[in-house]
Amino acid sequence: MPPVLQSEQPHLIYLNNAATTWPKPHEVLEEVAKCLRQPLHEQGRTTGNGSMDFPSAARETLATFFHAGPPEHYIFTQNATDALNLLIHGLVKKGGVPFHAITTELDHNSVLRPLITLEQEGAISLSVAPFTDNTISLTAIKKAICPETSLVVMTHGSNVLGSLQDIKPIAEYLNVNDIFFIVDGAQTAGHIPVDLSDIPVGAFVFTGHKALFGIPGIGGFFISEPDAIAITRQGGTGTDSRMLTHPSDMPMRFESGTPNYPGIASLYAGIRFVTSTGQDAIGKKNNDLTRFFIRELKNKPGITIYNDAPDLPVVSFNINGIDNHEAGYILARAYNVITRTGLHCAPLVHERIDGGKGCIRASLSWFTTRDEVTTAAAAIREVAESADTQVRSV
Amino acid sequence: MKEYILDKPLTEDFLKFLEQFGTVRFLDQLKKPYFSYEKEHFISIKGFVGDSNVEVRYKKESHDLVGDYFHLLLYYYDQGERGISALKGQEDSIRKKMKIRVDPMPENGI
Repeated sequence: MPPVLQSEQPHLIYLNNAATTWPKPHEVLEEVAKCLRQPLHEQGRTTGNGSMDFPSAARETLATFFHAGPPEHYIFTQNATDALNLLIHGLVKKGGVPFHAITTELDHNSVLRPLITLEQEGAISLSVAPFTDNTISLTAIKKAICPETSLVVMTHGSNVLGSLQDIKPIAEYLNVNDIFFIVDGAQTAGHIPVDLSDIPVGAFVFTGHKALFGIPGIGGFFISEPDAIAITRQGGTGTDSRMLTHPSDMPMRFESGTPNYPGIASLYAGIRFVTSTGQDAIGKKNNDLTRFFIRELKNKPGITIYNDAPDLPVVSFNINGIDNHEAGYILARAYNVITRTGLHCAPLVHERIDGGKGCIRASLSWFTTRDEVTTAAAAIREVAESADTQVRSV
Repeated sequence: MKEYILDKPLTEDFLKFLEQFGTVRFLDQLKKPYFSYEKEHFISIKGFVGDSNVEVRYKKESHDLVGDYFHLLLYYYDQGERGISALKGQEDSIRKKMKIRVDPMPENGI
């Protein structure tokens, strides 16, 4: 089935898929509609039957997709930021004192802000490992480790540089040294195969609305040892209701209140779409189109590309002589090319690559076409040529 | 940030008016002629000549003082030459309030 495309003219060229993929597969929208047409199947909370139990089905699907179980160890949250907050704050609450944590220059504010808040509150000390050649090495992590290190949080793929991080040796080293490892897979889940049976992470965070093709408002994490994380949210679970304390059984340990059923349904359908399309096919197409896009822009007058060999379909660049926000505005309003401009919530990366001024990010998805990429690249070149030569006073 | 839809499309003549008060940048060789306007401590504007949509960003530190500034620009533009001096007077008054905020007890008064 083709995706559900925009019905209104003009045709948008949507290159902001690293933020939220669009369009969504037809199957995803159908599953959400199906979910909303039925009474919700609330396990333990309703006597109804006949409706699909989307949370259980989605947990099973996630366990198969990421090759790790049990399904109850997959927790639903609003998004990756929500998952990271729950994990980081829960781990620090449970952890000993003193508590030292490590993150990296490639990380997103969803990681940096919770950690820096905890550091400012005096709950932890924090080190930030630098990147070299767009990647974080095991050596850089080792250099930051001290006897009090209890946590490492790092991205699996940079949302600015599109660089995939080799997390396996880092995970193995941290596992042996009893340091909890949280991997932020917001940019990788769906784009590349992730085999958690082969990578000993403490927790792997994902979001639904990017390359898993779900709708905004759904994300989650896999956790190997739930007891490592303190319960920081309490509420109704539909189970053990006589108890006035929160149950520690999975998945209720980290989930309370009415779940986001349409979001979970979209995640379930999105993963099935990725699986049926084939991750290899998705990866190959994204890679080919991204390479083509870079070739169309590389060494062209007035364009600076910051990542000319990304692993993920993300291209970051600036147009010389024009502020990135202005360039993004022109591309959107004059050429219908949608990008994301600014710091992309990753200020430390930008400090390194562009002095902190930010850039334009174009990010592709399975639904991006070669024609769209060709048109977008021509628009970018045109803006660059005009910006270079045609600034004038009125 | 606010996006406005104006009654009529923006013209180059309006940009000439804006130049009296701040910095105008004009890229007229694009598919649509783009302009930006920057007035330090007040507002910035982005848009295209020939379009009715404009994006206006207010400076955070003085948002309450400059919230109407874009409307003042439109109002005084319609008054022609007379509008330029009238708006400059309005700007002086806004600037005085900004100055009081930054330095509430100036040594020599304002």
